[in-house]
Amino acid sequence: MRYPGKHFLIRGFGNGALMFIVVLGAFGLLAPRFLDATNLANIVVQSSSIAIVAAGMTCTLLTAGIDLSVGSTMFVAAAVAGKMVLTGMSIPASIVAALGVGLVAGLINAILVSYFSMQPFIATLGTLFLGRGLALLITETRSLNLPESFSKLGSERLLGVPLPIVTLAVVLAAVHLLLSRTSLGRQIYAIGGSIQASRKAGIHTRRVLASTYVICGVCAAIGGLVSLALLGTVSQTFGYQREFAAVSAAVLGGVSLFGGRGKVFPGVIIGALLIQTVENGLVMLNANPYIYPLTTGVVIFLTVLVDSLRHRQSLKMSRRIIRRPEGVNVAT
Amino acid sequence: MESIVEFDGIGKRFFNVTVLRDVSFPVIRGHILGLVGENGAGKSTLMNILGGVIAADSGVVRVDGKDLILKNPQQAAERGISFIHQELNLFPNLTIAENLFIPHFPKHKIAGLGLINRRDMREQAKKCLLSVGLDLSPDIVVADLNPGERQLVEIAKALNADARVVIFDEPTSSLSRPEVERLFLLMNRLRSQGMSMIYISHILGDVLKLCDDICVLRDGQVVAYGPKDEFSSERMISLMTGRSFENLYPRRDTVPSDEPALEVRSLSQPGVVENLDFTLHRGEVVGLFGLMGSGRTELVRMIFGLDTFEQGEIALGGSVDRQPVPRESIRRGLAFLTEDRRVEGLCMDASVEENIALVALSSFASSGVIHKARLRRAVTDEASAVSINIATVRKQPVKTLSGGNQQKVVLAKWLLSDPAVLILDEPTRGIDVGAKYEVYRLINQCAGDGKAILFVSSEIEELIGVCDRILVIRAGEMCDSVRRAEFNAERILRSAFGAQSVQ
Amino acid sequence: MGGGGIQSMQGTGEVRVKAFIHDSSRAESSGRPTIFPGAGRFRNVAKKLLYSEYLLLYLTLAYLLVATQLVPGLLSSTNLRNVLSNLFPLLVAAIGQSFVLITAGIDLSVTSVFACSSVVGGWIMTSNFGPRAGSGWSLAAGLLAMFVVAIVIALINGLSITQFEMPPFIVTLSTMTFFSGVALWLVQSRNIYHLPRLLVTIGKGSVVFVPYALLLTAALVSTAHWVLTRTVLGRWLFAAGYNAKAAVISGVPIGRTIIFAYVASAVCAALATVLLMGRLETASPIIGQRLLLDLIAAPVIGGVSLFGGRGKIQWVILGALFVTLMDNSLNLLGFSSFVIMMAKGGLILFAALLDVFRNASTVST
Repeated sequence: MRYPGKHFLIRGFGNGALMFIVVLGAFGLLAPRFLDATNLANIVVQSSSIAIVAAGMTCTLLTAGIDLSVGSTMFVAAAVAGKMVLTGMSIPASIVAALGVGLVAGLINAILVSYFSMQPFIATLGTLFLGRGLALLITETRSLNLPESFSKLGSERLLGVPLPIVTLAVVLAAVHLLLSRTSLGRQIYAIGGSIQASRKAGIHTRRVLASTYVICGVCAAIGGLVSLALLGTVSQTFGYQREFAAVSAAVLGGVSLFGGRGKVFPGVIIGALLIQTVENGLVMLNANPYIYPLTTGVVIFLTVLVDSLRHRQSLKMSRRIIRRPEGVNVAT
Repeated sequence: MESIVEFDGIGKRFFNVTVLRDVSFPVIRGHILGLVGENGAGKSTLMNILGGVIAADSGVVRVDGKDLILKNPQQAAERGISFIHQELNLFPNLTIAENLFIPHFPKHKIAGLGLINRRDMREQAKKCLLSVGLDLSPDIVVADLNPGERQLVEIAKALNADARVVIFDEPTSSLSRPEVERLFLLMNRLRSQGMSMIYISHILGDVLKLCDDICVLRDGQVVAYGPKDEFSSERMISLMTGRSFENLYPRRDTVPSDEPALEVRSLSQPGVVENLDFTLHRGEVVGLFGLMGSGRTELVRMIFGLDTFEQGEIALGGSVDRQPVPRESIRRGLAFLTEDRRVEGLCMDASVEENIALVALSSFASSGVIHKARLRRAVTDEASAVSINIATVRKQPVKTLSGGNQQKVVLAKWLLSDPAVLILDEPTRGIDVGAKYEVYRLINQCAGDGKAILFVSSEIEELIGVCDRILVIRAGEMCDSVRRAEFNAERILRSAFGAQSVQ
Repeated sequence: MGGGGIQSMQGTGEVRVKAFIHDSSRAESSGRPTIFPGAGRFRNVAKKLLYSEYLLLYLTLAYLLVATQLVPGLLSSTNLRNVLSNLFPLLVAAIGQSFVLITAGIDLSVTSVFACSSVVGGWIMTSNFGPRAGSGWSLAAGLLAMFVVAIVIALINGLSITQFEMPPFIVTLSTMTFFSGVALWLVQSRNIYHLPRLLVTIGKGSVVFVPYALLLTAALVSTAHWVLTRTVLGRWLFAAGYNAKAAVISGVPIGRTIIFAYVASAVCAALATVLLMGRLETASPIIGQRLLLDLIAAPVIGGVSLFGGRGKIQWVILGALFVTLMDNSLNLLGFSSFVIMMAKGGLILFAALLDVFRNASTVST
């Protein structure tokens, strides 16, 4: 059966939604307080930061690339913003500066991957360390405790909706619009579908690739700001291993590491909620803190496993047919 | 009658092989030109020149009377030339509409940003689709379309780009008969609207039905051009094959034995082959001839074990296998020279020596340790046997060698493992005459040594020149087997095309 | 994305041969990147320099020339001894990584092997159960356990990559996260002290002025060199990296070969951990953590390509030396660990860039 939107349904909801319900149920059983309205609302708000980063990450994943440096970009952006606020500069100025950080980080990755043709994982691995070191340098490894004025932003509301969620909505809408309604967005999908066909169709593959890393960097910065507003402090481990959460969220939401498929809405939201649910649930259960890295590792492994198997299936589907069931060749 | 495109003296060489020689003929405006010839006759190369994919070495392409040099496909598209390749150039993960318009979408301008104007795009796409007879929603993802529909979308794309000349390269190979009829209806309609088309196909019946003029290429030259009334299937076949032996083949003087070396029994795989049987004998050179899409490469890949099959067995060297695997097949004495040496036959960045040694490594090692001196000597000997100047090229990466020498490296690699059965899939594709002769000589020699050879090729001449027996495959079925005494190019070609396609 | 691999053997039957990771961002011909649009004449000179096999030698000499001027105490005997003792574990781990790189893969989980084998080994070696406690047996058992742990992690990596066709970089990243966490959990972030004397001797001691660590490293280096140049397995590793498709058709048992590469990497990591533990006299869940980028940069600078198929052990030695020298001079110059972290990030980018230039195909797409 074919109809427009069929893929939207399957990919948007497929694994993510089901798992989400299962996980919610599991935690709900294990820790009754989990299903409290306030807790659930908490999860939604807390997930906004990772959803924003995942939205940006989706763009790079769509081209079969990846940006491992998002966590450290979050850190640098937050560190810069935090430092500026603490030295008395205005909040808007610090926000702009943080966005600038995201832009620069994205540009560096963009140049390395599209202009120098480096493999994305190694390029962004390098910038991950560059960024992390820089951020630690800026914060001198001390936690930056932001003044009330900033952390208030985390709980402020715009028309009754918490600010972080508003930000998420804006970012998500922007990225979704970009990916589905602009020429650039469709070209991103095209590259993920087939880079050779893209070149033949006259697409400027270098430029398009570069743009995905810039978008990812900026989204990471925004995610960092939101996280900063929610936490109120920049600690040494700010943004640590958030790249895993971002990739997991995106892949759970139907984006493939192999490129060309997946949507920001609603996939990324579901993925981010799922990740956040797991994290929140572990806290609710008073889980042993040593479990956290274990779950991070397992979650990313499983999501990539499912993606790889799915990818292999789709490759098998595209095979040539020599003999038709009619039994006779086309020629006769 | 004026011509919209004119080829004038086109020549092209790849490395040392002349692929096109003094090709001159017109494409008349508003006509469909059928371009026929065997594989390797030069059809695709010529069309690639017209389509801006490659440049001609000599001669001129004239469009609308103006001499043109087309540097890239975009320039060709600007002139209204659209090339619909056999392997369609669509993005399966995008919708029909998006495929039609990428990367120049109709846009709204909102506050300086260009958003895709979905409504306009959909409307234009719908119109476009209707003009090719497809009544589908433009929002359907291409991955959900069957090959017939995809083809029509590709055509719609060409129309959308205001094409005036559309080149169809083997468009019907993945289509069912009703889809083919639908395509022809469309082409007829386009013709009546003034579109010029070039139709490349090996299905002669279709060519005669559809085209206004026919051009026959052989060995890179035009052997006939004229209105379709001057042609019949018989005439086309004899023009395509011709008689060009000229001592190109070493004398076959060995006689095959009766002992079976490879037996394929009841091989079946849905969608590919059904109940296929044949036997190779020791010392025998058996040719396998089939057109593009006949299943010949799929067949040999299954025999070697690269793809699975549901039923049947492969008997080789006394043992029978239902599920062969490359490593096992090699151990049992099978060798497989693949169609595409660059992708599957060679490690391009590795040295000549490393490549030649790859298959037979274990036989020059004890407990995993290589006897370097012994291996070196064996590689040297084998290289000399295939006429590679190993002294100079031993350490060079294989990618620096010419096509002919590269193919010889692949052959040397397999010969070093001393196989009992050799499967060669298009061993002389893309190599010069001298190297071709070398390959034939080696085949002879192997046959003389008691090896069995399955020679898969799309060149009837070389099969006739080298083989003891020729099998013809069509749509996954062995439809003919011709002994040396009865070798006849036209008969073979006719079998390959299928009786009914020849009127 | 990710290291190399083969794409599915596409035929019309079921895909028989396992396919590994898919890399859609590569140029078609040989998997190498297209050369970036640079300026003409300068490119020729740069090319000659970069393609020279001796590039690393020039680089190291150049670096030394500059560093000796700027860095106080670089060439003092204590410092040189320091450099050497830092060199050995790094080199050992780098050799292991080279095996994986040659197959066009990557192993990012090395530091988790350090962590897990260290704590497991350390725990067994210092445990007090049974009549054999404290004796040489506990050391032997501990060492054995270390290698077992390493192999387990390697098998998880290798099987995921060969059986499920998952991209190496993400598989090894996830095992890294997981097992680093396991190590921390096992010892609750505490270090283990009082390691057996013998272990410390291996790590720090010498026999007639020749450090045991040097002997072990030299033995490993020669073995690795021998495997890569004189065994069938070595040729298979290269073939897997050059062109996995062609390798399969040529009868290379590619699944086993790739798994071996990851096992080699993990075993070398375990050996490096032994050296580290001996030298530091501690078993720690964060031992060698800062070495991750070093042990990737070292072979890549030394000519082992991220794209697979290329590498010579002799150059890895020089690569490890270069990286150790750099690390050492940065420390001597008093830079904070964060600046050093940034420098390491820059180093890996430099290495990868170098690799791209060396491998740029002459066919532009």
